[in-house]
Amino acid sequence: MSQDLLAIICVFAPLAGAIIAGLGQKALGDRASMALTTGLLFLAAAAGISLFLGHAFGDHGGEGGHHATGAHVVHLMRWIDIGTFEANWSIRIDAISVTMMAVVTSVSALVHLYSVGYMAEDPHRARFFSYLSLFTFMMLMLVTANDFLQLFFGWEGVGLASYLLIGFWYKKASANDASIKAFVVNRVGDFGFALGIFAVYTVFGTIQFDPIFAAITANAVVDPLGAALPGPVRSLGFEFVGYTVPALELIGVLLFIGAMGKSAQFFLHTWLPDAMEGPTPVSALIHAATMVTAGVVLVCRCSYIYEYAPFAAAVITVVGAVTALYAATVGLAQNDIKRVIAYSTCSQLGYMFFAAGIGAYQAAMFHLFTHAFFKALLFLGAGSVIHGLHHEQDMRRMGGIWKAMPLTWGVMLIGTLAITGVGIPHTQIGFAGFFSKDAIIETSFAASLKAVPFAEFAFWIALTAAFLTSFYSWRLAYMTFHGPYVGGHEHHEGHAPAHAAHGASPDAGHNIGGNPSGAHEGPWAMRLPLILLAVGAVVAGFVFYDAMVGHHAKDFWGASIHVAADNTVLKDKYDIPEWVFWAPLVVTVAGFVLASIFYFFNHGLGAKIAARGGPLHSLLANKWYFDEIYDFVFVKGIARLSDWLAFVFDRKVIDGGGPNGVAALAGMFARVTSRLHSGLVYHYAFVALAAAALFGAIVLGQMQGAAQ
Amino acid sequence: MSETFPVLSVLTWLPAGVAALIALVRLGFSGPAFDAGVKAATLMTTLATFALSLFVLAGYDQTAGGFQFVEAFSWFGAIQYKLGVDGLSVALVVLTTFLVPLCIIASLRAVTERVSAYMIAFLLLETLMIGVFCALDLVLFYLFFEGGLIPMFLIIGIWGGKNRIYAAFKFFLYTLLGSLLMLVAVIVMYVQTGTTDIVALQTAEFAPGLQTWLWLAFAASFAVKLPMFPVHTWLPDAHVEAPTAGSVILAGVLLKMGGYGFLRFSLPMFPDASVLFQPAMLALSVVAIVYASLVAFRQTDMKKLIAYSSVAHMGFVTLGIFSFTVEGLQGAVFQMISHGVISSALFLIVGVVYDRMHTREIAAYGGLVHRMPVYAAMFMVFSMANVGLPGTSGFVGEFMTLAGGFQASTLAAVGATLGVIFSAVYMLTLYRRTVFGELNPAVAGIQDVSAREVAVLAPLVVLTLLLGVAPGPVLALSQPLADTLAAQFAGLTP
Repeated sequence: MSQDLLAIICVFAPLAGAIIAGLGQKALGDRASMALTTGLLFLAAAAGISLFLGHAFGDHGGEGGHHATGAHVVHLMRWIDIGTFEANWSIRIDAISVTMMAVVTSVSALVHLYSVGYMAEDPHRARFFSYLSLFTFMMLMLVTANDFLQLFFGWEGVGLASYLLIGFWYKKASANDASIKAFVVNRVGDFGFALGIFAVYTVFGTIQFDPIFAAITANAVVDPLGAALPGPVRSLGFEFVGYTVPALELIGVLLFIGAMGKSAQFFLHTWLPDAMEGPTPVSALIHAATMVTAGVVLVCRCSYIYEYAPFAAAVITVVGAVTALYAATVGLAQNDIKRVIAYSTCSQLGYMFFAAGIGAYQAAMFHLFTHAFFKALLFLGAGSVIHGLHHEQDMRRMGGIWKAMPLTWGVMLIGTLAITGVGIPHTQIGFAGFFSKDAIIETSFAASLKAVPFAEFAFWIALTAAFLTSFYSWRLAYMTFHGPYVGGHEHHEGHAPAHAAHGASPDAGHNIGGNPSGAHEGPWAMRLPLILLAVGAVVAGFVFYDAMVGHHAKDFWGASIHVAADNTVLKDKYDIPEWVFWAPLVVTVAGFVLASIFYFFNHGLGAKIAARGGPLHSLLANKWYFDEIYDFVFVKGIARLSDWLAFVFDRKVIDGGGPNGVAALAGMFARVTSRLHSGLVYHYAFVALAAAALFGAIVLGQMQGAAQ
Repeated sequence: MSETFPVLSVLTWLPAGVAALIALVRLGFSGPAFDAGVKAATLMTTLATFALSLFVLAGYDQTAGGFQFVEAFSWFGAIQYKLGVDGLSVALVVLTTFLVPLCIIASLRAVTERVSAYMIAFLLLETLMIGVFCALDLVLFYLFFEGGLIPMFLIIGIWGGKNRIYAAFKFFLYTLLGSLLMLVAVIVMYVQTGTTDIVALQTAEFAPGLQTWLWLAFAASFAVKLPMFPVHTWLPDAHVEAPTAGSVILAGVLLKMGGYGFLRFSLPMFPDASVLFQPAMLALSVVAIVYASLVAFRQTDMKKLIAYSSVAHMGFVTLGIFSFTVEGLQGAVFQMISHGVISSALFLIVGVVYDRMHTREIAAYGGLVHRMPVYAAMFMVFSMANVGLPGTSGFVGEFMTLAGGFQASTLAAVGATLGVIFSAVYMLTLYRRTVFGELNPAVAGIQDVSAREVAVLAPLVVLTLLLGVAPGPVLALSQPLADTLAAQFAGLTP
């Protein structure tokens, strides 16, 4: 089958599912809608994976291969065409897009399947599946864009789907709050992104990737539409709100603000933990594996820009590193199983960003790739626990369920080993996260040797965060699966009716001896995705290491990632001291040992420390008080400003000083000068006539002046 | 064929002709059967007018550009009866004729008193609105432009809400203040050039000093109509008191006359003055966007919220126009059309629940999705369009005016882009309070949209999405004008 056809199937099958299930939900019913969307997603995944494998193991580097010449583009339709502003609907096929297409469609297909089991009791399943498929389509539009505008379309489209799915249970006030928060915080990022696109267009006169990237590579002379004089693009000075700044730096920083919003980086991260209000399959697909990585995709896609924008790249490094550390510290003190994983996601995204910031875009994409599998696995595993424990999400009410849920326990252990990056250096033995995370840590050390700005900072943070990751990940595993079960139905009577209606576990409550929790595995629709993702979490690393960040990286990524001549971090990572290879493993083991002491061998010790509190624990448990500060400054501040503008300024100052005031004034004037009847109409009319007369006099004067 | 058949005159006067007929027949008849007949006749007439406008659209030769279907004969003195359309006018005429039938359908149930008078007012209004966009003589334009005030004044004042008298007078007098200044300017222009032909006046080249004053006089009128900050306060009052169909016409068509005026008169006739006032206009546009969005956020009345949102969205129109760039100008025209569709739809959406509950208070609703899933879905589409989500028509206009504005002033673009954040805040909050959440017991018995309401809203849903994904046809209509103006101003701006 031709590549073009595969790409079209991959992108549009999910859209077809979304439309049919969305519009026809009444006619089709839940079962048919689910079967249809899930079936179409597996079709899309088959297409996406075959595109990806064809790329990874096909004949690349050979003569006439698309790698040498850049991307292959399937043109679909013109979107906007104004002046030189030309935006098209198209599918760009290159290394970045096929990698993302494979990741997005395969994880999405598994999440669709999983949801068949997980959402079995929800009355709005057709709507849910329609949204999931819509999201998948938008994400595919994002990654296959051939210009900035289609990228932005997908970007905001996934935001819409995320908003709809976070607020899927629209009765819940917390879900509604979280969905609006997610949309608005993302819009703050999009504010920067949009300005970035305007800057790109003003500088280059186009928003198409290829001509822009070609101009930068050649350092061509560009003739901007405004705000700058013609000149070679890499040294172009751009006048922005009164300051003259390097054009590429400006573009780089503005685009990155967009990435910060979508990928929940420090300052714009507050929406992601709240997004856990959505159903767990949504968290797995959107808020872990795919959408939140869009920022990383954007930065890697724009490697052409960041390679010549050292300041913007340094900003990315710092923000990424700070996020990696910040989120890991907060993850230590959370008790909601989904929130721990959400902060973990935030932290891992930080790794990807600082990798891109120091110039190791390939390592960033590789970590994105492996992370998608093990993070989706962790979330779906957590979903399985939540499902098995009748909607319990607080880890303090879990424990001891490993015997009752052996499969979930097993795959969660695999996920934990993957995210903590367990593996033996210099060998092919290790879990997926080992290969990708260590690639990042090694390249950041290599970059620090070459004095890349903030690379050393990033390296030490990466090691610290790796230690914390190991600690909180094992804490999660122990609190959830080991020790005594501390939930118990006496704690939450409210769940009893829901439980009785559950049907899947008729023996719950009777089986006190062997299974006090009443925990149970989900149906096969849930188990199968867990098993497949677990396989991915094991093999995704060593299978693709060579292709993505090893000796074949240049062939694999081709022109989709650009590295400047002096950027050799990917090769340099082989020439670093031996201790750097082993350091990640050491901190990971240290985190594991410490977590084992606190949460396994001395069960309850961790809880005691948390209970004693102290300012550090409060700081972490309250996420460094970001929500409180933002709420006070922005949410309340804007509400107060809005109130004042709406009910004081607009009503009293403008209306009072304008029409009503003028009417009053004119009324007084009129009473004095003539005996006009009082009343609003006459006052207005009087003012209008007086103004017209005055104006006529002025213009008459002007005309006479002009005539003389 | 335009030589032989006066298609624009027919298009313009057909609704007024039917209105006159109804007025005549009204002398002898009354009662429910008569009202039903009037409703049917009005609907048929507006549909026929729409069909005729599509015929004009199809017949308009885009490759040739310029004014077409021109009809002209001398009226008295230098004043002519001259009609003609270019791409901009065609787009706005079709928008008008498209919205009026929807208004009539929306009014079929809602209006129960003085039905025939209501229909006459709407038909007259349609004639005057089409006339504004077709007139190629300044005096004729002025007559249509001001004449439109009267039926709108009556629609608000007679079929409006509790405070309708205050709102109607405020609307009338605000716009009158602007128009009187414009009238003086029209007279001055005639005295100076000896003609009132709009096409001729576009190349009249007034002296820069005089341009300044003429520009100000025209701008006073257009700024009130648009409306721009700080002369916008009549709009929320007018919207709140107007019946649903009145709001639709107000937001959908009447506001567009301001933008049309800037494009047809201010820029081509007073270019030096336009350049002089560019900074002020950009600044006012940004203030309108940010200020109106903030004010919208905390409104408690749905219609008021959408009215302020309109002010913000029209800010993008002026931003685009006064960027003097192709992107901004075409974006502004597109934004006018798109806003005509989206804001009309939002007022109709409010009208649907108002007809059932007779309140516009946001707090009186909540959880509508439990009872009105179809309504909720359509409301979501329009909310997202109002927020400017890519893939809806709202995005194209906003984004292109901003892209144009960025070239003219990065500072203005930064300020205006803030609107992207605020629009999400007020719109999603409105949606959440009315549609999501637990069902408010007060609306427990509410019914989902009827077939008639779907017939009104569905075309708007389709158009919103279609224009968002494939805006090409509308953009093509505005291209020649935008190219001409951008070229004219390229030599004037530093």
